[in-house]
Amino acid sequence: MFIDIDCAQEKKYNQNTFGDYFLSKRYPEKGELIAVLSDGLGSGIKANILATMTATMLLKFVEAGKSIKTACEVVMNSLPVCQVRKISYATFSVIHCNEEGDVKIVEEGNPSFIYISDGKAIEPEYTVIDSETHKNRHMHVYKLKLKMGDRLIFCSDGVTQAGLGNPELKLGLRRSGLIRFLLEKLNDSPDISSSDLARFVVRIAQNTEKDRLAKDDISCCSIYYREPRKALIFTGPPYHQEKDNQYANEFYSSPCKKAICGGTTANLISREVNVPVQCNIARSVGKLPAVSQMQGVDLVTEGILTLTRTVEYLENGFNGKEADAAYDLMQFLLSSDCIEFMVGAKLNQAHYDPNLPIEIEIRKNIVKKMAKILEDKYIKKVTLRYI
Amino acid sequence: MNKITVKICMGTTCFVMGASQLQELMDIIPSKYGDKVEIQGVPCLEFCNVNTESNAPYVAVADTIVKNATVDKVLETIERKLGYGQE
Repeated sequence: MFIDIDCAQEKKYNQNTFGDYFLSKRYPEKGELIAVLSDGLGSGIKANILATMTATMLLKFVEAGKSIKTACEVVMNSLPVCQVRKISYATFSVIHCNEEGDVKIVEEGNPSFIYISDGKAIEPEYTVIDSETHKNRHMHVYKLKLKMGDRLIFCSDGVTQAGLGNPELKLGLRRSGLIRFLLEKLNDSPDISSSDLARFVVRIAQNTEKDRLAKDDISCCSIYYREPRKALIFTGPPYHQEKDNQYANEFYSSPCKKAICGGTTANLISREVNVPVQCNIARSVGKLPAVSQMQGVDLVTEGILTLTRTVEYLENGFNGKEADAAYDLMQFLLSSDCIEFMVGAKLNQAHYDPNLPIEIEIRKNIVKKMAKILEDKYIKKVTLRYI
Repeated sequence: MNKITVKICMGTTCFVMGASQLQELMDIIPSKYGDKVEIQGVPCLEFCNVNTESNAPYVAVADTIVKNATVDKVLETIERKLGYGQE
């Protein structure tokens, strides 16, 4: 199963920084993920420091396999003390899960997470561990086994207490109110991504507040166990021409989402599977050739220039005004979890003509670079196949 | 008379060698020749790889290949095909 995780946040009204902090890390070789959501005492910079320290330390402790109890004691004892309140405090939720659906959760002070399975909210059992050094600090420990389609929603009290004191919602949105909204939303869009669902929760909380002004920091982290979305990209003609047909058919008949990067490659596949490729009459945008259309293929672009630009966007973000072919390719890649590249090893001599006004990167290198960024920065599972 | 099809190569080599400027033709051709000439982009005409000496960008005007294509060269070729100025 693939763990789709994302967090959405909103600052407290009039503050310039977040008082909640979210951190997550994937361990692809072990198929594991650790995430921490922490809410620091107060708001603004002070809260941000408390929450950031708590989340960062807890993630490191869990990563190192330390007992959660020891970890929490160390964290609680090391937080700076608030001059006003003479206490140090940051609540937290730690999630340690794997692709098999084994989930361990430790909560302290945050609203209890919401576990949704088969369209119902489930209240799982937990054990309580009391802190030895800090009175009134109790950790709730959960062990769950999740299945495909299950979701976990974590939030800071800025969500459950949104609207507190309003005439119609004296106690705020509350956890029960949030559950109602969530079940309704999931009924309407059962496949909604974690990122959209987290944003939905933040929006609900904000809308509940008077004048839409958040009275506390609002954070929501959503986890969703689902099938990985697979993508296949064919770029460059195969080294052995006699294998064109075999590779083209393998590509075209694949059930994955598909993209072709390269004019010659598009022609080759079009010829072998006998499906025409239509080049867009629309003007090319941003000094890149426009995308083409081919039935059964989700995206067809030019090769090296588009790939090079896509790497730039993936590294530095898209800041253009108009979406070009590289932007489309970036969206294609980012909306997938597992990405396989079929990289044709045949060289186009014309690309190495010293008279070309710009230097053209070698295909293998640019794809390798792209794969590394997708793995490191975007935590995608990438496979390269040279053909 | 048959319609003339003009194909502009949008492959990497042609694009960097000047095909990006040939997109002007997408406005000029329909207004100048109406239905007589159809213009389309193609992913790659695959001439760059055949010729040892690069003459990109390439444009195909019906069965004629325009090497080192410019807007003027393409329009000239179209007019020759249409038989303009030959009366």
